[in-house]
Amino acid sequence: MVAVNPIYYIALPLLFAFMLPILGKIYKGLIRIVPGILYAYLMVMSLYLLRQVNITGQPIIVEIAGWKAPWGINLIFDAFTGLIVTFITVLAFLVWMYSYRFKKVEFDNALKYFVLLMLVTVGSIGVVLTGDIFNQFVFLEITALSSYGLTAFYRGRDGAEAAFKYLLVGSLASTFILLGILLIYSQLGTLNMADIARNIHIMKPELKIMAFLLLFIGYGIEAEMFPMNGWAPDAYSQAPGPIGSVFASMTSKAGLYALIRLTFTLFDFSTVSKLLFVMGLLTLIFAEGIALRQEKIKRMLAYSSIGQIGLIMIAFSFNTYLGVFAGIFLMINHALIKSLLFFSASYLAYNSPKKYIKDIQGFGKYMPITAFMFGLGAFAIVGFPPFSGFWSKFYLLLAAAQKHYIVLIILILSVSLVELVYYLRVVHKLYFAEPTGEYEPHKPRWNGMLAMILLALVIIAIGVYPDLITHYIDRAAVMIMDKAQYIHNSLGL
Amino acid sequence: MKKLISIIFLLYIAYQLFVVFYAIPFGTDEVRSKVGKFYLEHSPKDLQVANTVTSIVVNFRGFDTLGEVTVLFLASTALGSILFRRREVHTRLSHLRTSVEASSIVRVTGRILFPMIVLLGAYVFIHGHLTPGGGFQGGVIIATGFLFLLLAYRQFTIDHKTIMWVESLAGITFAGIGLVGIFMGKTFLENFLGVGKLNELISGGIIPLIYIAVGFKVAAELTGILDTILLISITVDETENQTEKNG
Repeated sequence: MVAVNPIYYIALPLLFAFMLPILGKIYKGLIRIVPGILYAYLMVMSLYLLRQVNITGQPIIVEIAGWKAPWGINLIFDAFTGLIVTFITVLAFLVWMYSYRFKKVEFDNALKYFVLLMLVTVGSIGVVLTGDIFNQFVFLEITALSSYGLTAFYRGRDGAEAAFKYLLVGSLASTFILLGILLIYSQLGTLNMADIARNIHIMKPELKIMAFLLLFIGYGIEAEMFPMNGWAPDAYSQAPGPIGSVFASMTSKAGLYALIRLTFTLFDFSTVSKLLFVMGLLTLIFAEGIALRQEKIKRMLAYSSIGQIGLIMIAFSFNTYLGVFAGIFLMINHALIKSLLFFSASYLAYNSPKKYIKDIQGFGKYMPITAFMFGLGAFAIVGFPPFSGFWSKFYLLLAAAQKHYIVLIILILSVSLVELVYYLRVVHKLYFAEPTGEYEPHKPRWNGMLAMILLALVIIAIGVYPDLITHYIDRAAVMIMDKAQYIHNSLGL
Repeated sequence: MKKLISIIFLLYIAYQLFVVFYAIPFGTDEVRSKVGKFYLEHSPKDLQVANTVTSIVVNFRGFDTLGEVTVLFLASTALGSILFRRREVHTRLSHLRTSVEASSIVRVTGRILFPMIVLLGAYVFIHGHLTPGGGFQGGVIIATGFLFLLLAYRQFTIDHKTIMWVESLAGITFAGIGLVGIFMGKTFLENFLGVGKLNELISGGIIPLIYIAVGFKVAAELTGILDTILLISITVDETENQTEKNG
């Protein structure tokens, strides 16, 4: 088992992130090539391990430093965490491919970009894989800090402001999470999540509620939950183009995973799902409403992303098999489709500094493939067949129908209508409006094109033939619902 | 009115937090620590490490420490971005350091104390498994030595290339030692050397090695951060002086 081991998800990117400055001294091109090789390896390893886990039905548990949980830290690669990690590695590889030529002439900036990109991947994979709550906090910090760095990447005033805002809110989140962990540790004397889940009932109720709320708010901030998501649109719009995809598929997913683990495994409140439901609903309505009024393309995509997070939270709050199934499907689709949208939008608005939607009108003529990709992404995220977005929304409605939430179904459909309006507005402008002629279109590079085409193919493939992944989602949904199994796997009881 | 409401709201939250945390008897035996007892028992027995804090930080929860070292690495990388300092500014402003000269007492003391501070720092991280302290503390002590020199001698500059090399090599050592464990057929960060005898300098297997790497890394990173912040504050002073003159 030397060639494949889930520990490599964390150890190898860290090793190479520390090594990258030295590799850059040897040959400048290495800082671009090495992350790609690493991501390709991690992606292949994920696909192999996920298949393995699904065939044998046995999760892969990795002890660290030779101590069994709860004495040491362990990593858990099961059907649920494995699926999310697989999608993170796939998207990391595509983001790398898209930004392969990023800052070709500025060596120092390129070095910083690739180091931060590797570390944000390490952080979000670590959050998902670890079985230890304090370790999760450490990885969440890594994710957050590298996101601050990426937000302030263009050293302009707006970027610094966005990063500072993010830093303040993120520090608040970290403080809350740390206090919550402290409360749990002071009562249970353990930090392993399975061990906490096993003993949570002996905690005093008032302390339990306080710990839960502190963690919920902290993770909620990272997951872009309403009303603590003011930082997100600024961060999305100030960071370099492909990083929008990183935020949508990694940073927010890490927070969301922590939130799901918190509500499904750690605590035993029966009313938690109602809280998740209300917060998800507020997030959804608030974000989609604001997205409708956005005039800048990246801010619009950012608000739409927050709306999707709300939708995912609603799906998980049903606390039924179908709801969780739809939630995982939505998570995957959001990561895939939002990445396609960010990739194509940042090519479209490449030369426009303010990224207004009106700056790119009529670009369908000049950049037919990129504009087509954006249109494809727009239709996919709203939920049109034959794209993958259709199936996740379909299962969400099915789950709502199973629970007889008629009003919610109407609401989801009307929110989809709102989504359709603001996405179609952009697509309409792309194809039918006259170009303003103010900004030159930017010719896309082959690597960016390839990344977009691959993403589009995956979206269509899942849309036409959802059985490709429904089997994996099915196992994942069963896994996350089964708390006893998780405790058994982690502690080996 | 809006401010008043938010102040009352914050006070209420603060009160609630206070009530909850005040009720917890921190530092007493009443805090049930299941893992704590295990560590106290197994650190001297299995690892031959006298300082249990060190064996928790480097061995039992060494994975967290690897993460924390990364957090520090990121902090020094991201700080540069957020304070948006440019390299050209760096070279243009380095002469400003000579404009304010420290008194001769500070300069002479700085020169005498600097090697001692570095020695103390090295002592602290090399003896991390025997006495209180360790890589983080030793690294911070060394960084204060550099801070002393930065304050005493305004023309003293820190070469960020050297810092980068130290940072990289120390990080590679930490992650590399962890990976060697896997290739030896054990787990990541597991000890693969002999543990030696309790209370001897060469004991504890890989624990002192990792802590030395951490010491170097922390020293390099904090020195880099201090240099960045100091330069920024000088820049701000200078711009303020100029505006005063102009106005």
